[in-house]
Amino acid sequence: MKGFFGYNPGNSILHRLNPLTKIVISIGLCLSCFLTRSHIVILAVIAFNLLLSASAVGLKRSLKMLLSLVKFSAVLFVVQVFFVKQGNVLLRLPPGVIYITDKGVLFSLLFALRLIAAAMPLSAMLSVTRISDISNVFVRSLRIPYKYAFVITTAIRFIPLFSEEMTNIMEAQTARGVQFDTKNFLKKIRLLLPLCVPLLISSVRKIEGGAISAELRGFNLRKRTSGYKTYPFGWSDAAALAVCGLIVALTVFV
Amino acid sequence: MIRIKGLSFRYSGGVKNALSDISLDIGKGDFLGIIGASGAGKSTLTYAINGVVPHYIRGDFYGEVVVSGLDTVKAGPETLARHVGSVLQDIDGQMVSSVVEDELLFGLENFGVPHGEIESRIEESLAAAGISELRSRDIGTLSGGQKQKVAIAAIMALRPEIIVLDEPTGELDPQSSRRVFETLRSLNEENGVTIVVVEQKIMLLCEFAGRLAVMSGGKLISEGRVKDVLMDADKLEGAGVNIPRVATLARLLRKKGLYSGDTPADLRQAEAMMREVLSDAAV
Ligand SMILES: Nc1ncnc2c1ncn2[C@@H]1O[C@H](COP(=O)(O)OP(=O)(O)OP(=O)(O)O)[C@@H](O)[C@H]1O
Ligand SMILES: [Mg+2]
Repeated sequence: MKGFFGYNPGNSILHRLNPLTKIVISIGLCLSCFLTRSHIVILAVIAFNLLLSASAVGLKRSLKMLLSLVKFSAVLFVVQVFFVKQGNVLLRLPPGVIYITDKGVLFSLLFALRLIAAAMPLSAMLSVTRISDISNVFVRSLRIPYKYAFVITTAIRFIPLFSEEMTNIMEAQTARGVQFDTKNFLKKIRLLLPLCVPLLISSVRKIEGGAISAELRGFNLRKRTSGYKTYPFGWSDAAALAVCGLIVALTVFV
Repeated sequence: MIRIKGLSFRYSGGVKNALSDISLDIGKGDFLGIIGASGAGKSTLTYAINGVVPHYIRGDFYGEVVVSGLDTVKAGPETLARHVGSVLQDIDGQMVSSVVEDELLFGLENFGVPHGEIESRIEESLAAAGISELRSRDIGTLSGGQKQKVAIAAIMALRPEIIVLDEPTGELDPQSSRRVFETLRSLNEENGVTIVVVEQKIMLLCEFAGRLAVMSGGKLISEGRVKDVLMDADKLEGAGVNIPRVATLARLLRKKGLYSGDTPADLRQAEAMMREVLSDAAV
């Protein structure tokens, strides 16, 4: 999870673009794969996404991200492929009622490819843009009230804290002899359920402490223009947006 | 600087007073340590100083707390916050950003520090906390000691006259704990910041604090210069505070005129002290 959403520090062209530009581009690239029904075009968009991401965070990390997406959509492909009944039967599994058709394969492949192509730009955007920059630009340029932006960034920040808390509680229970490493799924749920209460209590405490700390540091005094960082819109932003617009247009017409 | 008079506080929903009849004066430039068993009311006392009580956490509040000339009940917590900086007990919960630099920016932006001044304030306070190299690090990847220093730097950047810290070394190893206290000491000595720190590690307080307040069951049972407070061993024992034996030993040796150095803070220093005393005795 951390790998997929995490920010990757760096100083590439993408890192330096205006956060708003990056958001628009990633949404544009997402949309582009829904505007076409051609497998080839989507593959081309995926290749472009990969190139983009590699230029910012390196090929290795980009491939790793792509691989995890491929695995995920492969599972969805397998599930999906049995549900399309139209078209010529390609393969019939032993009992006879379950079969795969050519249409099914093409449709599911399109679905899987679209999923990959849609998730890539979002993940790439998040790996080159700090959440705080996104929230700052939302407050400054889009005039979203700071309170809402703060709630969302806080929620995102708390996810790893919660999972850490959960691990702590589980370790404490393991030390008391509870065996979480059971293969039985239902049994595991039964063991984990009672842990929700202490997790909830400690989480609420943490959030309360965070709120107090924020207020003690003048949270309520903040105005829209309090932000120190500014996000100028430069030539590189215009160029990047133009390239993105071109790609969206191409996917529509090709 | 801080004057607490006849302060009692009960949390709404609480059965007994978390603080009862506390009176305490803290002077400008003091370095006060607060010690006491769990549940003694130490955190609540810090809340009374920074205005969390009664503004954010409600309950029955009696008595008077005046901080930098402001009555904490009448002054809004934001006004108070310009004078008192607070580092809370839960270190992870109190961070508001994911990057160190943003954590410092948060308070600076909120309090409307002129933008031309912000950069120098960030640099200064990071340097003072000894964490300049952490500036663009992700807070989630820092160690406990580093996080603690980030919290302190974020407060220092606001330049309060008073800093209140609640168990800043709670999850730290002895070495990082010392470093946090060294940072506090330099703030205290060089910038004249008044420090109020809740701390369980009595050895640290013996070494760094000038004054000591001992709490037990919501009451302030002893307060004064560190060495004077340490004298009354029975009282401290009753409050659940263990006087370090090396401190007792050092006190005895000093009284007998055999030793004149610092109170040892760990076994190694205690050994050095004994060697010094013994070699002097052999001469
Ligand atoms: N929010 C609250 N609501 C009700 N009672 C509370 C609340 N917070 C603390 N108390 C009670 O007030 C008393 C003093 O608590 P306080 O947190 O000040 O103790 P402490 O000395 O800081 O302890 P510790 O060393 O565990 O941090 C305790 O009896 C505690 O149960
Ligand atoms: Mg406490």
